[in-house]
Amino acid sequence: MGNKILLKGTGASPGIIKGRVRLVRSAEEIEMLDKKEILVTSFINPDFLPSIKRHANICGVVTDKGGATCHAAIVMRELKICYVAGVGNATKKLKDNMEVEIDGREGIVYES
Amino acid sequence: MAEKELSMNLDKFKKVKGIKDLEQYDLPTPQTAFIFDFDKQEKEVDTFIKNRSYLMIRSDKENELDFCPHNLICPRTEAKDFVKKLTSKKFVVILQECISWKEDKLSGNVLTLKNNVMIELMKGGPLIFLNRDGQVDEYLKVNKKGSVLEYSGKKIIDKTDLDKILKMIKKLPPYKIVEFSIGPDWLYFWQIRDDKTAKGLES
Repeated sequence: MGNKILLKGTGASPGIIKGRVRLVRSAEEIEMLDKKEILVTSFINPDFLPSIKRHANICGVVTDKGGATCHAAIVMRELKICYVAGVGNATKKLKDNMEVEIDGREGIVYES
Repeated sequence: MAEKELSMNLDKFKKVKGIKDLEQYDLPTPQTAFIFDFDKQEKEVDTFIKNRSYLMIRSDKENELDFCPHNLICPRTEAKDFVKKLTSKKFVVILQECISWKEDKLSGNVLTLKNNVMIELMKGGPLIFLNRDGQVDEYLKVNKKGSVLEYSGKKIIDKTDLDKILKMIKKLPPYKIVEFSIGPDWLYFWQIRDDKTAKGLES
């Protein structure tokens, strides 16, 4: 990839995807995501999952908390959504509309 | 309940099967009883709750995708009514020894891959905080020789406990998640879950 590494976490669902950051705080905000946006949030709690399952546009997810064995990670792998978990400070470091590339196997967020 | 009857029912209930599966890998569990039918098993419930101030009560249901009711610190005085209520709603009740979740304990998941294992740990417990809320304090990826390949978070498990767990889960096939908790003088495994999606995490 060769781009600058912005953040590192745990690779929780494989895939490499480029997109725009969208910080999300509630399940309702998921419905408003555009195509090619990467959902960035504190954690995918069970309330978020129905919206994520309904919303086919999500191409990737980055969370502050979590890991590869959490319930959310298993669902992301089932849905084949690229997911970097446990980044720690993603919601602070990443800003809306930033272009990033995420590697869900290695758990890395790159500048794009 | 007769072992034969329990075996017949087992595969329908993922959590119950996950606990029973621990036996075939010699992984220690807290004292456990499965209650399918309150009327037939009332004596078993009485024996289990006798001399205990608190119990851990979990439940499981055939094809139940939603959250199954539980009370992880259920007072003895409330236990029988709760068990009766759950079985009347077709839940299987899992009665277990109650653990007090203090900071001197840690809990975690081990995910087995073909050549590595991923270990995610949290201080205290229960594991619902890790599984549902993403509370991961330490993460390790370890190969079959016990070498740490990846690491993040703060160190909460010592090498002796880590080596002990890795040795105990050696026979597990790939793509299983096994849940455990460690206290000052005990180590319990809670259940084994299948995770076919983990194939995607192979390097």
